[in-house]
Amino acid sequence: MNAIRRWMPEWLSPTALGLFAGAVAALHFLPRAVELSPYDHNQITLAFVFIAAALAWNWLGGFVGQVSFGHSAMFGVGGFVAARLILTATALPFWLTWLAGGAIAGLYALAWGHPTLRLRGPYFSIATIGVGEATRLLLTYWTQFTGGVSGLMLPINPDLKYSLYWYGLYFLALVAAASYVLRHSRLGLGLLAIKSDVDAAADVGVGVVFCQDLVLFLSGAVLGVAGGFYASYFSFIEPNDMFGFDRSISFVLMAVIGGVGTVFGPVLGAIVFVLLRQFLIASYPQLYLGLYGVLLIVVVLFEPLGLSGLIFRLTRRLRTLRAAR
Amino acid sequence: MNILRVEKLSKSFGGLRAVDSVSLELARGEILGVIGPNGAGKTTLFSMIAGSLTPTSGSVYLQERRVSGLPANRVVRAGVVRTHQIVRPFNNLTVLENVMVAAMFGAVARGLQPRAVALEALSFVGLADRAQQYPHGLTLVGRKRLELARALATQPQALLLDEVIAGLNPVEAIEMTKLIRVIRDQRSISIIIIEHILAALMSISDRVAVLDYGKKIAEGKPAEVVKNPLVIEAYLGEPQKTGSESTSRSDGGPAQ
Repeated sequence: MNAIRRWMPEWLSPTALGLFAGAVAALHFLPRAVELSPYDHNQITLAFVFIAAALAWNWLGGFVGQVSFGHSAMFGVGGFVAARLILTATALPFWLTWLAGGAIAGLYALAWGHPTLRLRGPYFSIATIGVGEATRLLLTYWTQFTGGVSGLMLPINPDLKYSLYWYGLYFLALVAAASYVLRHSRLGLGLLAIKSDVDAAADVGVGVVFCQDLVLFLSGAVLGVAGGFYASYFSFIEPNDMFGFDRSISFVLMAVIGGVGTVFGPVLGAIVFVLLRQFLIASYPQLYLGLYGVLLIVVVLFEPLGLSGLIFRLTRRLRTLRAAR
Repeated sequence: MNILRVEKLSKSFGGLRAVDSVSLELARGEILGVIGPNGAGKTTLFSMIAGSLTPTSGSVYLQERRVSGLPANRVVRAGVVRTHQIVRPFNNLTVLENVMVAAMFGAVARGLQPRAVALEALSFVGLADRAQQYPHGLTLVGRKRLELARALATQPQALLLDEVIAGLNPVEAIEMTKLIRVIRDQRSISIIIIEHILAALMSISDRVAVLDYGKKIAEGKPAEVVKNPLVIEAYLGEPQKTGSESTSRSDGGPAQ
C-alpha cells in the first residue's frame, strides 16, 4: 500500500481514485447485471460521449475561461474525417478513424484558435460563433467530402452499436481522468493563472500562447473523437446536425449547468442536460429550446457554479449544522 | 560588471513619447532607484524591460544577452522579473499556488521542487502561515508581499519593483524596506525600484535615476540627485509658475 502511495502524486487522493475505479467498474458490468432496453443502452452510450465532450469543452471554457461557442466545428470535422475514412479505408479499425478525426479536429482548432485566442472575454466568444457558422457553411458546400446536405451513410453494424457502450465508457473514463490530471498539473495551474490575469501570468513566466494553444488542441481533439464516435453510432452524419449552433450551445450548457471550471461539474451537467432534453422534447417539442434558455439564465443568476456550486453549498451547510449540534 | 543594461529605450504611444531614449545600467548587487513625477514613464520603462511592452526602439541586455524583443515569459526565464504597482494576485488560486505558478513556469533551473521553492519564498516574505488562504483574505501589505514572493520564486537575477512601498503604513514601509535590502544582501539579486515615497527610496538606493516626461534628467547618488536643480524643478515646478505646471502633470498619463 505504501509503495503505491509513494508512486502516486500527492494531489491524487486514494478516495477519489477508488470512487472513480468503482464507478467505471459498475458501469462496465451494468449492461450484464441489469436487463437494459436497447433504447436505454443506446442512450447511455450517447451520454458517455456527450459527457466527455462537455468535459473537454470545460478545459478551455472553464480552466482558461475562454468560452467557445464554436466547439461543434471540431465535433463535425472529427465526425466527417472518421466517416470518410470508414468509407474509403475499410481496412482501418473504426477506433483508429476516430483518432484520426480527433487529430485533424485538434489541428483545425489550432488553425483558427492560434490567432483568436489572444482575444479576451466576449471577443473570443464572438469569434468562435463566426468560426462555428463558417465551418458549417463551408462543409455543407464541400459536397465531395461531406455529401452536402444529404450527408454520408455508413455501413450499419448492429453488433458494433451494442459494443460501442464500452468504447464510450472507456473514452469517457480517459477524458475524465485527463480532466483531473490537467486540473492538478503544472499546465492546469498555469491555465488558472491565465484565467485570473493573463498579463500577470506572463509576468511570472507562464507561456500564455503555448498553454492556450495546447489546451485548445487537446479540447478540439477530444471533440473530434466524440464526433467520430457519433458518426459510428448513427451510421449517418450530415453537416447541419454536426455543425449546428445548437450543438455548440449544448456543450456550453452542459458545463454551465454542472459548474464551469470545476473538474467534474460538466459530468453532472451533461447528465442533467441529456435527461432533460429527452423529457422536454417528448413533452414540449416546441418549447424545449426556450426552456433551456430559461434554465441558463436561472443558473447564471443564482448559482454561477451550477450544480457543483449548489452541492458545495449544501454540504457546507450540512457540516455547519452538524457542528452546531 | 553590469547585470542589466538598458540602451536608448523608447516607447511612443501615437504622438506621445512616453519613454524617450532612456539608458540605464544596473551593477551586480546594486539597488537602483527610479523616481519621477506621475506620467514620467517609469512603469512604461519597467513594462519594456520585463517584455510586456515592445519598445519602439532601443535594447535591453541581461548579462550581455539581448532580452528585449522576447515575450514576457521568456524574459522571466532569462532572469528578469517585475512586480506590479497595483497588485495582481491570481484570486482563484491559493497563496501557495500563486507562488507555485511562478516557481513552475518562471524558474530557469530544472529539478527544483516548485512546492518547496514556493514555501521558501513565502516564509521569506513572512506569509508562510497564509499559504492555504486565498489572496482576497490578505491585507494590502500581505498582497504586496505575495507579489514579491511570486517574483522571488522565479529565481531572478534582476528584480524590478514597482511601488512596493507606496500605500503601506510607516511600520509596514520600514519592514518592506528591510526586506528589499535582505533580498539584495542574502540572495544577491540586483534590484531596480520605482517609488513615490522619496524618503524610503533614498534610504535604500545606491544610485537614483530621475525621469521626467520620458527622459532621464539626472542620475547619481541619492544625496546628489535631490540637490539637482532639474530634479527640484521637475517635482516642484519652476519657482515663478508653480500650480498649473504641476497639476497638469499629476493626472497620471500612459505610464499607469
